[in-house]
Amino acid sequence: MTNAFTLPIQPVDAGPLTAWLVEDHSVPVVSVSWSWPGGAATDAPGREGTAAMAAAMLTEGAGDLRAVAFADALRDSAVGLNFSAGRDTFEGSFRCLTDALPEALRLATMAMTAPRMDEDALVRVRARAIAGARTQLETPRGQAGRAFWASAFPDHPAGRPANGTAESLAAVPPEALRAALAAQLRRDGLLIGVAGAIRPAQLATLLRDLFGALPAGAPATPPPLPPFTAFGRQIVMVPSPQSQIVFGQPGITPPDPDWEIAQVVLRVLGGGGFSSRLMEAVRVQRGLTYGIGVGLDTLFGGGVITGSFATENGKVAEALEVTRGVWADLARTGPTEAELEEAVAYLTGSLPLQFTDSRRIAATLLAMRRNNRPIGWLNGRNERLRAITRGDAVRLAGSLLKPESLAVTVAGEPVGL
Amino acid sequence: MPEITRRHTLRAAAAAASIAVTPFARAADQPAVAAPTTDAPLFGAKQWTLPNGLTVALVESRRAPVVAQYLYYAAGGGEDPAGRSGVAHFLEHMMFKGSPNVASGTFSRRVGREGGNDNAFTSRDITAYYQQVEASRLPMIMAMEADRLAAALIPADELESERRVILEERNQRTDSNPRARFQEAFRAALWGPQSWPGRPIIGWADEIRAISRDNLTDFHGHFYAPANATLVLAGAVSEAEARALTEEHYGPVPAREVRHRDRAPAPTAAHEPRLTVREPQAREALMLRAWMAPSLTTAKSEQSLPLEVLAHLLGGGQGSRLHAALVETGLAVQAGASYDSESAGVTEFMVYAVPRRGVTPERLEEAATAVIATLLQDGPTEAEVGRSTRQISAGALLSLDSFGAAPRMLGGVLAIGLPAEVVEYWPARLRAVTRTQVAEASRAVLGGAPNTVAWLLPEGA
Repeated sequence: MTNAFTLPIQPVDAGPLTAWLVEDHSVPVVSVSWSWPGGAATDAPGREGTAAMAAAMLTEGAGDLRAVAFADALRDSAVGLNFSAGRDTFEGSFRCLTDALPEALRLATMAMTAPRMDEDALVRVRARAIAGARTQLETPRGQAGRAFWASAFPDHPAGRPANGTAESLAAVPPEALRAALAAQLRRDGLLIGVAGAIRPAQLATLLRDLFGALPAGAPATPPPLPPFTAFGRQIVMVPSPQSQIVFGQPGITPPDPDWEIAQVVLRVLGGGGFSSRLMEAVRVQRGLTYGIGVGLDTLFGGGVITGSFATENGKVAEALEVTRGVWADLARTGPTEAELEEAVAYLTGSLPLQFTDSRRIAATLLAMRRNNRPIGWLNGRNERLRAITRGDAVRLAGSLLKPESLAVTVAGEPVGL
Repeated sequence: MPEITRRHTLRAAAAAASIAVTPFARAADQPAVAAPTTDAPLFGAKQWTLPNGLTVALVESRRAPVVAQYLYYAAGGGEDPAGRSGVAHFLEHMMFKGSPNVASGTFSRRVGREGGNDNAFTSRDITAYYQQVEASRLPMIMAMEADRLAAALIPADELESERRVILEERNQRTDSNPRARFQEAFRAALWGPQSWPGRPIIGWADEIRAISRDNLTDFHGHFYAPANATLVLAGAVSEAEARALTEEHYGPVPAREVRHRDRAPAPTAAHEPRLTVREPQAREALMLRAWMAPSLTTAKSEQSLPLEVLAHLLGGGQGSRLHAALVETGLAVQAGASYDSESAGVTEFMVYAVPRRGVTPERLEEAATAVIATLLQDGPTEAEVGRSTRQISAGALLSLDSFGAAPRMLGGVLAIGLPAEVVEYWPARLRAVTRTQVAEASRAVLGGAPNTVAWLLPEGA
């Protein structure tokens, strides 16, 4: 039964590095995920997308292997090696069969220590990134997301597009990519999560080999999240039969003692699936949208509650009114006893399903480390969730949810706003 | 086949999601699922049939104390009645609106209450419903799934609200996205807008508006019979337990006469061999070209696996012929090929390219055509075929690392009438493909099959 489900996370000490490992030999697969602080947060204004392009260049050839030869080496052994720049982190990961572990290690190490940065590869990567940035703005969805974050966090990296714009990507010189990688790829400041068929001692050796040659000194910590700008309502005109709506308000941060109460309240408000108040009111009762959801976004050490839905242009006003009404109701009276019980049952019962594939486990371990959780955090989680009373949930809903200051971006051709 | 699901991914950070230029989710350059080094079956599935005709397959795995149930019906958008595209998908939505012993909306709520996930998806060939739960909850989800197999309420008073949801789904997926509108128009151009392969799975908007409750109950009555369904179980359950539980819950569902797929013959000529769409909303151009092609379920099915290899060597990312000739030369930002052998009936072999700005459509299309002409003339090399079969199959065992992979792969083939061996031994079968077979399949399809070339052009380009 779920009560008995525990996750044996082992700390693995590898010199200056510590990784968390979930060891599982049932399938001959290993996933390793790691991250540094930084990512798009370090992009210079006007050169958004620098870190993202630099990350892409790491798998475009390394050492004596040009781009095609490097890709062939990965694919001949079915090694999935990826680097990416998030809003406030720079991340790497690989997954492979255990037989291919030495090759995965060799290629991942080469990518980080000897990326070729060939000019022809850069031309291709840049062209692809620019086309991607332009394509993203073809839809109301892409436009709404861009505008929402820009308005919520003006003058901070959180408000700028992590993957850049056509203009900013064109402006990044090759030296900026090299500088970004030099500042980012360090053997300090690393967080590491590992899952799969590997023993702790073997992992310790692997990690020393993987990161040992990187220069010392942790990358700089990105600036903290400034206060959320409650910008009211914003409309981005995009020719489309349907508008995309993105909305948000200040959230809660990982160290907050009410973190898990917030998970429960947000599950009731607009968590996944059909059991939330917003899904019931906006989709099931009124047929106004295909889906509406709300979640807690953690970035730059801060938290933002965001949600989104799409509805035909003529229904935007109605759907927004219903959304605000649900928000205000929950703020006023909190979840019912039954809703609390149902949300806690879901959050406690779903734990085993989070641990069915090695990449997901490694990513979960990494997220726990980023949120600075103790290693036994998950094992005490169900007990903590079950201890939440309706009084706790009512209090938190009242203090957290701000229906009056919900910031709303509408992209499309809304009528009657 | 693209699948569409009942519920979109409720990622609130939707806002930050990036959108790839790649037109199709199953682009050939993703390291495809892949292959063991021995000839052992990949999943070692057990399979049996209940007296009412229901096929059951089981992949036991003790990795985590969880179990997945997937129920596949051998009917999808390809079975929609004439003039009523979208029925299979509409019915999928209405299957959550109650059955004799499960009230409307209760199915998902109960699964969530038990910590599980549930959803459903419709493709051209199948409709499937699934849940993933902690293992002790298997009887609960079986009881509910069997209840709606036996009878679905399809309440008339919830039809209009759900129709609005589906129209919003269509708006969101297709009508508000110029690239998706173009892909829909492309399929219609190749196969014809009223042919079973050319209609959108979600349905044309005016036909979604015309779907009646009778259309839905007829579809359930014709196709949702035990003998037309395949149940795939995966996870922490033994064969003995699975046999007992399926007999207890699915055994009592009465056998019903099945209407098997009976599609009109597919067109044998392209409806429109060329399509050009100018879109004010599009910011990047896209070229698509598709040829009608056999699958594992049609005549000339022996060309199917060679076509999988062809898709890789022609357009499987770096090192492929299209990548070398179009992307590395600076003509295109992306270029690739895709093909799925596991289809019911005729399918298509697709090539795509996104030109660099400043490269004219004519120039890019000419270069793509030249790549294909050279391949047809000289055939692939031994080295290319060896590289492709090795790379496609190298990671076959990685599918053991995904909880949903086994039921999806097995359900996908069993529900279109293929044996489980197609999945269990695919790595060895794929590795056996020869240069001559690839050359012959290339000539048969790229060298002569009806095809359509289409261009999406940003307005004014």
